[in-house]
Amino acid sequence: MWLVLCSSSDASAHWAFQGLLQMGLAPLQLVTAESLASARAWEHHVNSSGAHVTITLANGAVIRSSQIRGVLNRLVAPSDFTARCAVDAYRQYAAAETQAFYLSWLHALPGAVINRPAPLGLSGPWFHASEWTLRASRAGLRTCTYRQSARDSAAITDARRASFSRERTAAHHVIALHGEIFGAQVPSDVAHACGRLAKAANTRMLGLQLNSREGDEWTFADATVLPDLRAGGVPLLRRMAQILVTGEPS
Amino acid sequence: MILLCGIPSEAPLRMIASRLEEMSADFVLLNQRDFAKCDLWFEIESSDITGELKTQDRIFRLEDFTGIYPRLMDDRLLPELMGEADDSPLRAFCRGFHDTLIRWMEIAPACVINRCAPMASNSSKPYQAQLIRQHGFYVPETLITNDPQLVREFRKKHGRIIYKSISAIRSIVQQLDSEDEARLEQIRWCPTQFQAYVDGVDVRVHTINGEAFATAIDSDATDYRYAGQQSGRPAGLREVELCDELKQKCIGLTQSLGLEFAGIDLRITPEDEVYCFEANPSPAFSYYESHTGQPISQAVAHRLASRPFVRHEPELALMAS
Repeated sequence: MWLVLCSSSDASAHWAFQGLLQMGLAPLQLVTAESLASARAWEHHVNSSGAHVTITLANGAVIRSSQIRGVLNRLVAPSDFTARCAVDAYRQYAAAETQAFYLSWLHALPGAVINRPAPLGLSGPWFHASEWTLRASRAGLRTCTYRQSARDSAAITDARRASFSRERTAAHHVIALHGEIFGAQVPSDVAHACGRLAKAANTRMLGLQLNSREGDEWTFADATVLPDLRAGGVPLLRRMAQILVTGEPS
Repeated sequence: MILLCGIPSEAPLRMIASRLEEMSADFVLLNQRDFAKCDLWFEIESSDITGELKTQDRIFRLEDFTGIYPRLMDDRLLPELMGEADDSPLRAFCRGFHDTLIRWMEIAPACVINRCAPMASNSSKPYQAQLIRQHGFYVPETLITNDPQLVREFRKKHGRIIYKSISAIRSIVQQLDSEDEARLEQIRWCPTQFQAYVDGVDVRVHTINGEAFATAIDSDATDYRYAGQQSGRPAGLREVELCDELKQKCIGLTQSLGLEFAGIDLRITPEDEVYCFEANPSPAFSYYESHTGQPISQAVAHRLASRPFVRHEPELALMAS
């Protein structure tokens, strides 16, 4: 069995689900964060020999980690359903416990998982813009100067970053998957640097926004572990299906 | 230059500051309660990180800091913000100051004890347990569920079981008794962790700079941190020596988690099996040091002052996965 885990509003994941189905990946199940939040029963075991999870959804469907061969994981956060059920005094506690639980059971999933969860994000590491900038620079990508000050409000910082992006004439979106680059056409040295950045971030799939002026001076603008998969089109889907089927190690 | 930050009267910070003073090391103690008198900025330009920290009376270049020991409390709860509206300028500056400080420390080319990213593995105990078991430690039989019937079966199988939180929010470890079993329906709204009780002696191991300081804890309590409450008498602490193999396992676990400093909680069974409950990335080592005289603060101070600084972890903070 293969799974696509995502929010019900993740259009990109729904597109990938349909595409993978058409490519013959079966049985393939789409499981939303909302349906996980209303699951009838959770059973997650961790011991000295390993970890596994069994989820019984509200409709009676049972998902056993032992039957999973691969997962497209696009979960950003657990639905806030659990936290909303808690009384005020325990709301923060319930949210922290649920987040911790999701990190553990997602980590326990076997097979090829795109992307594996990390402590900084359920679908891979969500680094801060400052850290992405430094990592991108070290991976060999050209970066803009990043500056942060105690006097910046979050809004000012975001606005400045947005203006940074607007200064560049065109934004290009690429997706690095297991060392290959999909989406916009970029020079090979830039493509290699994108692959290096994904590898250094210890994530299988990474979306990157690169800005360029007349196809020259490619500059790193942003990175995300949750890219719009549609930017990679059918070639990306084909490669994803291949990884999910063969279980290529990351 | 070394930077310590947090609340100066807090025991771990105070002890490390004292050791650095004894060593005549060059250090700055940044009291986070003085944030309103400070300023901070940093810049990243082609992999170079520069910036300035301004305190009440001095300005420091960030690139001069080679060792950093952050022990920050939640800045939203600082007494200086009491009565401040959610959108007050002081509150916004306080958040901006702490955010800038944390973002810089996360990428600073210095020995940071510890950075936030590797510390995050401890925000999910069962996740961290899956990493721990890869290092040859036993981890307790654990069930996380929202199904009361599964808990009853788990208890029937293991006899004595305990329950505790799985996130970074601290809870008191409790043994599940019949009264608790009667209210198990409450777990339906939030999966809860239950563990088979492991009999044995608790050992806290502090690892730093290739050294391991082990403290055995003698207590009848389920959670020795609350021994007075749970068993009526405080826990007894004594220094113990680990065998080389176990010492190396602890040091290896710390490094693989990307941590410089950790407080590893072990329980050694009568059969000599070593169970590991967790690796705490922000250990309150002062409790152990004050009871045993183990030179933990000195080891941390030496690590902060070590020159040239050699990274133990890969480039940037290691993301355990």
